[in-house]
Amino acid sequence: MKKASIVFLAAVVFLAAGLIPPGIAAAEDKTITIGGKNFTEQYLLPELARLLLEKEGFKVNLRTGVSTVIARQSLEAGQIDMYYEYTGTAYTVFHKQDDTGIMISPEKVYRWVRDKDAKKNLVWLDPLPLDNTYTIMMRRADAAKAKIRTISDFGRYVEKNPGKLTFALESEFWERPDGFKRLMVVYGFRMSPADVKRMDMGLTYLALKEGQVGSAMGFATDGRIQAFNLLTLEDNKRFFPVYNPAPVVIRKTLEKYPEIAGILKPLSEKLDNEAMRILNASVDVEHMSVSAAAEKWLKDAGLR
Amino acid sequence: MKEESFRRPAAATGIRSLLLVAVFIAGIAAERIGLVEYLSDPWEREYVLFLAGQHLYLVAVSMAMALVTGLATGIIVSRKRFRKFAGVVMYVIGLGQTIPSLAVLALTMSFLGIGSKPAILALYIYSTLPIARNTLAGILSVSPAIIDAARGVGMSPVRILLEVEIPNALNVILTGIRIALVINIGTAALGYLIGAGGLGDLVFTGINLMRTELLLAGALPITILALAGDYLLELLSLLIVPKGIRMAG
Amino acid sequence: MNLFVFLQENYSTALYLTWEHLWMVGLSLLIAICTGVPTGIFITRNKQLAQKVIGGANVIMTIPSIALFGLMLPLLAVFGHGLGKVPAIIALVLYAELPIVRNTYVAIKNVDPALVDAGKGMGMSKWQLLREVEIPMAVPVIIAGLRTAVVMIIGIAAIAAYVGAGGLGVFIQQGIARSHESMVLAGALCVSLLAVAVDLAMGFLERRVTPGGMKP
Repeated sequence: MKKASIVFLAAVVFLAAGLIPPGIAAAEDKTITIGGKNFTEQYLLPELARLLLEKEGFKVNLRTGVSTVIARQSLEAGQIDMYYEYTGTAYTVFHKQDDTGIMISPEKVYRWVRDKDAKKNLVWLDPLPLDNTYTIMMRRADAAKAKIRTISDFGRYVEKNPGKLTFALESEFWERPDGFKRLMVVYGFRMSPADVKRMDMGLTYLALKEGQVGSAMGFATDGRIQAFNLLTLEDNKRFFPVYNPAPVVIRKTLEKYPEIAGILKPLSEKLDNEAMRILNASVDVEHMSVSAAAEKWLKDAGLR
Repeated sequence: MKEESFRRPAAATGIRSLLLVAVFIAGIAAERIGLVEYLSDPWEREYVLFLAGQHLYLVAVSMAMALVTGLATGIIVSRKRFRKFAGVVMYVIGLGQTIPSLAVLALTMSFLGIGSKPAILALYIYSTLPIARNTLAGILSVSPAIIDAARGVGMSPVRILLEVEIPNALNVILTGIRIALVINIGTAALGYLIGAGGLGDLVFTGINLMRTELLLAGALPITILALAGDYLLELLSLLIVPKGIRMAG
Repeated sequence: MNLFVFLQENYSTALYLTWEHLWMVGLSLLIAICTGVPTGIFITRNKQLAQKVIGGANVIMTIPSIALFGLMLPLLAVFGHGLGKVPAIIALVLYAELPIVRNTYVAIKNVDPALVDAGKGMGMSKWQLLREVEIPMAVPVIIAGLRTAVVMIIGIAAIAAYVGAGGLGVFIQQGIARSHESMVLAGALCVSLLAVAVDLAMGFLERRVTPGGMKP
């Protein structure tokens, strides 16, 4: 029976590990859960928020690395207390609007989504000045050779030379109302599905750099655009809305801790496109860790 | 996993009819979720077929490679001379399966970049073990009496291999190929993550956008392909395994 | 930035993710054992039922893991648990069931009928037979099934990172998204080592538990 008891004991030890969930919060008070999406900027913003909040005595849990829709749903379900959402994204994806007059004006679109979400008990705090719009990128040399500078040029080139240009994008971008499917309709061209390479977040920059595709989608503030020497095409028809990120917080949480708005305010004053690009680059190109990059930036900005 | 090398419980008609009912219910559910509407858009249909083609390409190439190495390894290691290496060899090949599929894909990606090449390599690594292991087990399980008889009749070792050992092991070998195929088709769904395309695209996109119809448009074909592949190989084994051996097995 | 520098600098994160990973695997395995072993024993009574149950579990195995995770999301969102560890654990339990149920079933079925007869001859009741003859003899094969199950779900748990469940898959997912090769390698390496280590440990356990007379 000795062997059986050894087995039993080993099993109990191993399985007992299964009953102790990781990260049990010691104290219940002043704890906030911040969500985030699955690209570098969306790992940095929650980290910056966390550092600022922890300085004021909060305990912060991060649940980053999910898609736009999952982040929004977990906010609405109360699984997270806040996350940084972009005005343009909320306007087009969640509220399914397409009024160009509103979406290209930072103030109008911010006010619109803030008022609409207030009815859902979601509070939009002050927006950040940066505009992380979608862009279409090409390698500089190729764009120069084909004389492509705007998305209209791009569309014309695709129509005249079917099959010569491939485009890498992330599947979210394909399906979204502010995404590629509708962009082709607005700009009046059609790329065949065989030329549209869908891949997971982040691979698009690599695929373009390595020459696997002729063009790719990217985010305007990504540090890799400069590092990989890529060109962003001009959105001449103003198809894309403005994308200013702002903390979106559950009203109940904000009522419990109204000081959050003040703590996070410095970010809305100092983080513009240039600053964000440098921050992103320090993570994506220089391979600093997210927390190190965030710490450094806060220190340099005199906030830490 | 020893008993898996031999017989899988023969699927009774009970299971088949259960499956049919399940498929019927799934069909109704799919319609409610919007799958039918999604597929009625010709642009989307074109895309699903395109992705299915990519998926099958990944599976076909990696399975072909796995068949060659799997069979060869199994046969070589079953020879008396190399039998002592069997344990080590099987363990090393087996590492390809012990190591999580996502990790294998990530590792091949760091060597070969993104695209279909690293995915095919990873799938090949993943599919080789079941084939090699079952080939070895099948050959080793051939009754020594039969081999002695063949030797007694004067057959050369090569002829014994080709005309006695392999045909007798065929049932087990084909089971191994079936297992490999099903694993391969399922794992190929992860190819999307390293830029290899395939039906995994719809699955991950469906998750990201919380659109169940996309998820199903990807997951259902993969599951159907796996079940179909499994069924076809079962038919194949019924056809080509000589009756006498099947009845003895 | 190479792999070792990365691991050095992110030591605590790596440990945390490993713990998260083990927790998901451990809990799922616990649930799967508590449900799977009794099921495996139960279906030895009825061959038709056995075929249906094992056949059904087989079908679940053909569903790619990411798809099963994905299906959990809308189903569980109704209960407010769409994201994270809950859908992951449910899927992991489902996948672990087949090897456990099947091996338990086969193990008990394969107990030497001579022993069962001897027990019956000694006047043992059905329950006594189960407890004192069949189960102890079946333990090695059941452990073999556990070994298959745990290695398999360590691998599937890596994919769970894509539905927000955390674990070592996070390194792989984030690393790919951020073109951070060392992070990807760190994740791949850590989860591979974990799988191999657990496999070796289970193999050792399997051998210790196999009575000398039954060793192959």
